[in-house]
Amino acid sequence: MSSHKFLMHEAEDYVGVAVQDIKAGEEVMGVDLHGGKEFRVKSNHDIPLGHKIALKPVKKGEVVIKYGENVGNATQDIAVGDWVHTHNLKTGRWNYGN
Amino acid sequence: METKILGYRRENGRIGIRNHVVIIPVDDLSNAACLAVEHNVAGTLALPHPYGRIQFGADLELHFKTLIGAGRNPNVAAVVVIGIEQNWAKRIADGIADTGKPVAYFGIEGYGDLKTIERASRKAQEYVQFATSLEKVEAELKDLVVSFKCGESDTTSGLAGNPTAGVVGDRLVKLGGTVIFGETPETTGAEHVLAKHFATPELSQQFLKVHAEYMKLIESKGADLLGTQPTQGNIAGGLTTIEEKAFGNIEKAGKTPIIGLLAPCEEPTKPGRYFMDTSSAAAECITVMMAAGAVLHIFITGQGNIVGNPIEPVVKMSANPNTCAYMPEHIDVDIKGVLSRELTLDQAADKVMDCVVKTARGRYTDAETLNHKEFVLTRLYPSA
Repeated sequence: MSSHKFLMHEAEDYVGVAVQDIKAGEEVMGVDLHGGKEFRVKSNHDIPLGHKIALKPVKKGEVVIKYGENVGNATQDIAVGDWVHTHNLKTGRWNYGN
Repeated sequence: METKILGYRRENGRIGIRNHVVIIPVDDLSNAACLAVEHNVAGTLALPHPYGRIQFGADLELHFKTLIGAGRNPNVAAVVVIGIEQNWAKRIADGIADTGKPVAYFGIEGYGDLKTIERASRKAQEYVQFATSLEKVEAELKDLVVSFKCGESDTTSGLAGNPTAGVVGDRLVKLGGTVIFGETPETTGAEHVLAKHFATPELSQQFLKVHAEYMKLIESKGADLLGTQPTQGNIAGGLTTIEEKAFGNIEKAGKTPIIGLLAPCEEPTKPGRYFMDTSSAAAECITVMMAAGAVLHIFITGQGNIVGNPIEPVVKMSANPNTCAYMPEHIDVDIKGVLSRELTLDQAADKVMDCVVKTARGRYTDAETLNHKEFVLTRLYPSA
């Protein structure tokens, strides 16, 4: 049994979902649910179970892809291994004046 | 796989898996009498709620549809309706009567609570003895209308719980069953993808129109769903945006095409997969699905929603290992093995189907054992 710590919906997703708590500095392996391809990344932050880890760098304002789809825009630059949540990702809906 | 269940065949041929005698108040004022009847007569179930006075238009229609639908549900053997005004109690009883099940109505005006309680209690006693004389019959899973909803979702819902629900729904449809899911607001961000699941371009367009109307309603209030969607629980569970939540939500859609778009409380007319235009609030959503005749609900939770329904048993599943560990009394089916890749989606669906069959043969769900009876009417706007 693989000791994966995150899962991805699609191999091209920009983020994986932690399925166990991940510690800052930890080297972790993840698997994409459809293809079974393995990915490795070093975490920059503590990332609790259920939260997202960045697998690709994203510039401020660019979209973040999960499920192979656009799930919002980065509100600051995101580096590989970063925790991705409300502090750096925002919905593309109702962005009045932003 | 076991597909035989034990249910109650109602007068109109529909199969229920519970055998309630319900006491329905037309309005808030009649709750006291309904609760008194429930207290007097063992085996009755009162459905108190806070509404029903001076509503108008579509909001009033939905009120009637929900109460009539509750009485019509195949999990209900017989119905007593009590209202402050006899005419409206009669309107609800008339809406139930064509199912062929026993139904009686009482108006409180001109009698007072005490005489009404006595008359209604005598009728309720007769109905309980009728209901408890009914024998269970063997039936098939395909005879059931099964509804689906997720709540207190987190990222595990999109990874495991909702895709498992999608597989379960596909299996039920393949057996010839009827399944309903919904939650219009929570498709936001993924509505263009869900639209492709509908069986015809016309249905896709109808769905997108219903969704757009909902968005217009929110904007007409000068509001947005930021701060509401995702919920605080969703965010704690790792969901960041409404789009992310929506893509997880629509994993429930499975692979079988959606053959109909239902209004709240609208009964499906033939087997297959349906989308119902509902709120995303758990108890409201399940209540309108129950009122459309759904007799068993499959609920997917991440962070641990605890909802139940008085008439429709709610089977709950979670893939979040923390929720399964800390709230086990609420989780009928633990599918955390999907996250550790020890369970495939098909194996997780097997576990859910096993629980569905047991529930449909009479076993109480966690929500039933814990007395969760959330009967929540959807309001469209304030009373006059």
